[in-house]
Amino acid sequence: MSARTWWTAVRLGITAAYLMAGWLLFTWDLGARSLLLGLFYCLLVAAISFPIFVEEHDAARRAHFPRVHVLGAYLLVLVYSMYVASFKVLWQIVRGRINPGVVHFRTRLRTDIARVALTSSITMTPGTITLLLDDDHLIVHWLDARTRHSRYAGSLIAGRFERLLRRVWA
Amino acid sequence: MNWVAIVFFALGVVFAVMGNLGVLIFPDVYTRLQASSTCATTSVFSVFIACMIVSGWTAMTGKIIVITLFFFLTNPISSHIIARYAWVSGIVPWRRSYGARTALREHYDD
Repeated sequence: MSARTWWTAVRLGITAAYLMAGWLLFTWDLGARSLLLGLFYCLLVAAISFPIFVEEHDAARRAHFPRVHVLGAYLLVLVYSMYVASFKVLWQIVRGRINPGVVHFRTRLRTDIARVALTSSITMTPGTITLLLDDDHLIVHWLDARTRHSRYAGSLIAGRFERLLRRVWA
Repeated sequence: MNWVAIVFFALGVVFAVMGNLGVLIFPDVYTRLQASSTCATTSVFSVFIACMIVSGWTAMTGKIIVITLFFFLTNPISSHIIARYAWVSGIVPWRRSYGARTALREHYDD
């Protein structure tokens, strides 16, 4: 089997596995009939659609294999910081006294998907919105701009997300 | 109903109301987007958690998990697109010193 055929099979397998996870969550049923039916349809849909979801080259193959336990920890950290930041924004709305500012900083993450995840997490956390992502350069609007120093702002806004994301898609 | 679920529903209501209030009182597009993102992410997520607790370990929870994951993927993108459009089209963000200056000028003009 040539490397190309093998990678095509892996692409099909990755797409089918992700679809199967969705099937299991939707049906919530571990009976043999449901599993076989799900497997059949996942393979069918994957056979049609895998060129859209997985690239033809395997340079970015790490993007499809996140470390699941670190990803779970990351989601917990994200939800926790979401609530903490929400209460801060709530207090700023109640007090009616805000100090917004725009900060620029660079991220050390190298994979595309990790950068997209970082951008989405920053936007998801209330009080910070990513305005622009250009390669590794982020422009962030900050509702409570405590500093304009680039590296310090980066560590305050994205530091703990970055540390975990580097381990998820290293 | 479970007390934890009630707490999360209440959090959802509080964040939604305060987020909408923030949209009304904040000065420019970026800060209003911040307020609306509070209401759009945290309140909706609280409601989802409460729904999961109410429905327990059933098929409905799986569907809510799928919806939550989809929401985590799509919601930041939409906020980011609005903010990016505002930034690229050159809208200058409001700053506190600007507001203070304007207020002072109005004060001394009177």
